[in-house]
Amino acid sequence: MTVVNNRISLVALACAFVSPTLLAEDSSLTNPSISAVLNGYYQTGERPLAESPDGFGLGETELAISANIDDMFYGKVTGVVEIHDGETELNLEEAFIQTLAMPAGFSMRGGRFLSDIGYLNNQHLHTDAFTDRPIAYRAFLGGHYFDDGVRLNYVAPTDLYWTLGLEAFKGDSLRAADIDADREVKNVGVYTFYTKIGGDIGDNSSWQAGLSYLRNENGQLSAHEDHEDETVEEHAHDHSHAASYTGKNTYGADFVYKWAPNGNYKYQNLTLSGEYFRVSDFVPSELALEDAPSKDYHQGWYLSSVYQFTPNWSAGLRYGQVDTQELHDEHFDAQKLKEAEFSLAWHSSHFSTVRFQYTRQEGKNFDGIEDDNIFTVQYIMSLGAHGAHQF
Amino acid sequence: MRINSNLFAKSLRNLLKSAFVVLSFSCAGFAHAELNVFACEPEYAALAKELAPNAEIYTATTALQDPHQVQARPSLIAKMRQADLVVCAGADLEIGWLPMLQMKSANANVRSTDKGLFFAADQIDTLDKIDNVDRSMGDVHAKGNPHIHFDPVRFLNVAKALSAKMVQLDPSSAETYQQSLADFTQKWEAAIPRWQEQAQGLKGKKVIAYHTSFRYLFNFLGIEQVADLEPKPGLAPTSAHLAMLLSRAEQGDILAVIVASYQDERGAKWLGEKANLPVLTLPMSVGGNDASPDLFSLYDSVIALLNGVK
Repeated sequence: MTVVNNRISLVALACAFVSPTLLAEDSSLTNPSISAVLNGYYQTGERPLAESPDGFGLGETELAISANIDDMFYGKVTGVVEIHDGETELNLEEAFIQTLAMPAGFSMRGGRFLSDIGYLNNQHLHTDAFTDRPIAYRAFLGGHYFDDGVRLNYVAPTDLYWTLGLEAFKGDSLRAADIDADREVKNVGVYTFYTKIGGDIGDNSSWQAGLSYLRNENGQLSAHEDHEDETVEEHAHDHSHAASYTGKNTYGADFVYKWAPNGNYKYQNLTLSGEYFRVSDFVPSELALEDAPSKDYHQGWYLSSVYQFTPNWSAGLRYGQVDTQELHDEHFDAQKLKEAEFSLAWHSSHFSTVRFQYTRQEGKNFDGIEDDNIFTVQYIMSLGAHGAHQF
Repeated sequence: MRINSNLFAKSLRNLLKSAFVVLSFSCAGFAHAELNVFACEPEYAALAKELAPNAEIYTATTALQDPHQVQARPSLIAKMRQADLVVCAGADLEIGWLPMLQMKSANANVRSTDKGLFFAADQIDTLDKIDNVDRSMGDVHAKGNPHIHFDPVRFLNVAKALSAKMVQLDPSSAETYQQSLADFTQKWEAAIPRWQEQAQGLKGKKVIAYHTSFRYLFNFLGIEQVADLEPKPGLAPTSAHLAMLLSRAEQGDILAVIVASYQDERGAKWLGEKANLPVLTLPMSVGGNDASPDLFSLYDSVIALLNGVK
């Protein structure tokens, strides 16, 4: 199988670069930061809209290279190897440049990168405390939304952290399904706006809250015939990062709160986070009034709590759900999925995690998924000069 | 009605008053716009205060926090955004969070050591540099031990370089910085022989300690760390490792088990009880205990605590 070869060559490649001088010098173009993330699992069931099928599998295997290009620019490339149905796919998840020397708190990023909307979206999957993104992310953002585009970001010179950002993207992966392929699409399909504020509460805790808006020019469905069979089939084979439920406007709100005794994260810490998304204006404009859905929006949210109780162990609880309207033929069906999850992780060091997770999923007409209990065992290990993780 | 309007007038007055207070504060901030310093650790905040008494100084961490594992939290981004000078230990101590802060704070003035970024470890020769590093060795620093503030001679060199950096960034106050450095140097040079004398009896003593946090202190005082509570740098003590330390301790030549103010005491306490050894928590930095509000008292406190178990 190509799978094994790929994994070994990734390790070999990374090791070849990484070994002795890794921490000895700062990264530069002749000695860039190189890291790889290895990720494998065994799962007893299938999760809707998730990328990991049941049984043994490899998650995203990631190889990243980054460095300051000169005193004005920083660059990063993240390649991801994924295996779907026995096929090995190599994808570029990030390939961006970022300015380092713009004045007055401004910075720009261009290329392919993770959008900064929401709390989780700009974080890499391997930093998550659960095996998959919450269902709201899988339904509305295709797991995690990265795309080709440009960002302008501003950080205010205030003691309370305050940042504002604007992004414009191609938006292919967030296009509404268009089986008839007769709709006009805009080249720049997605615009986002986000703002975040944050600060400390004493020495023990920190917080951040954000609001985001995503305008999707190509997010509205168009009505067409013989839809049903094709959508079902499309979902079954949908391993691109495309979102399944889109709309013209997506509104998001997010918060995160972290606590550690005396602010010392090494031995114990607690993270509480939650996000809410509401997607509207997805109903085809040519749809007859009597066929309109009972609710003209999709929504989804999650709440998550992760407690690291020793340097080596952490446990997490997460609950999330989505309510969506799916177009079948000429009418909409309401769907709902609820997920309750428990995870327990062992960290031999900062760089290695072995995780056990139990998921209880309950679906009402959700992509044909029945209520299910799913158990997952997963490892995630990173090697090389790994970049700092975000708050 | 009258009561209401009175109340309204009163709250309006209060509001205006607080607005005025806020305004005058921010104006004061602008008027005294000396250096805005972001210190990664409290020892560098304390040093900056000695060298630039008028500067606005922010400390990213406390002596109760492990500086290896700090979150690149929003408040730090906001503070770094406004900094003219960022002072850190360096030698990769802050590698897990400083690059993220630099990226997120979008402050071009503190990106490079040519400008407003200062690494203490760059100014001196660090102890324990390693040529060959591999993650299986744990969280080691190839650039040498970064906890240099307990070596008074090396630290004085850091102070000189930091003062020069301040002059470079704010030449209009050069005289003030040079005067402060001269004052500090004089006080510090007078303190070194005093500390050496106070610690005379500690020379040649053996201790078991957690991590190599006090490598420079032990080097300065002539104390020998014969074993580490961590099986490998950055890893928590394991029971197997503690059992091994117990048999080492039973040789009977150990003065004490020592942990830093941000480290977990459980392993040390277990060992202390089993081996009948005193367990000593030393302040890792300024503010690590009540007796160490500045750099001078930090040294005094640490030496007094060590002398206390003699």
